[in-house]
Amino acid sequence: MALRIDPEKNEVRALQQVTDWRGKRVLEVGCGDGRLTQRLARLGAHVEAIDPDAERIREARKNMPKGLRARVHYSVGNASKLKYRNGSFDLVVFSWVL
Amino acid sequence: MVHALHEAQRVLQPGGLLIDLRPAPVHRHIGISNNGSYRELGVMRENLGDDWAANRAVQHVVAEGLFKPAWRSRIECDRVIDTYKEFQVWLAEFVELGRMPSHDRLAKRVENALAAARGKKKIVIRAPLILRVLEKLG
Repeated sequence: MALRIDPEKNEVRALQQVTDWRGKRVLEVGCGDGRLTQRLARLGAHVEAIDPDAERIREARKNMPKGLRARVHYSVGNASKLKYRNGSFDLVVFSWVL
Repeated sequence: MVHALHEAQRVLQPGGLLIDLRPAPVHRHIGISNNGSYRELGVMRENLGDDWAANRAVQHVVAEGLFKPAWRSRIECDRVIDTYKEFQVWLAEFVELGRMPSHDRLAKRVENALAAARGKKKIVIRAPLILRVLEKLG
């Protein structure tokens, strides 16, 4: 479906005000098709992006521009049982999850 | 929800930030944009119970002393759909998820407004987002 979320990019402008994302280790929970993931990677973050829906993860991988591949890793995962060690991330983003 | 917040707290480094980004607990406004001007057609009546439950979960982990609120902002955010058929699919997903009753009258208004509009037109769903930043304590 051709649903465009936040074409004005107000969301990413607000996120830029939160912190300097360059070089930050970020876990994005609920990445869906990777719309926000790409925006965070373009701000310079290294993003580990998870979603419980394997189909959405396949879509996110397919959508990812080549230039962002070094900074983004997608995997299937659940917010209630994160497979990462304690203290692994500078930021955790709950993207329309709670 | 509280368990997911506990997990986020565990994987964050001390002083790390949790960003909770999601639609504000308000009803969505539906309209059409035609040659750059917006006309509102109605307001959805979706169930906001999950949104309030999420707010309570955040309050819970703050009260536990795991996080402290650092920042909060409201962001205007549009969702744009080009065709009535796609709008119907989007609405149907809400109904299937049990988040609202059927919105047939609103859908009909959108269909009629689209048919009457000339030039470049699109359906606009207006609903702000809340960006909440919590800092991990300890």
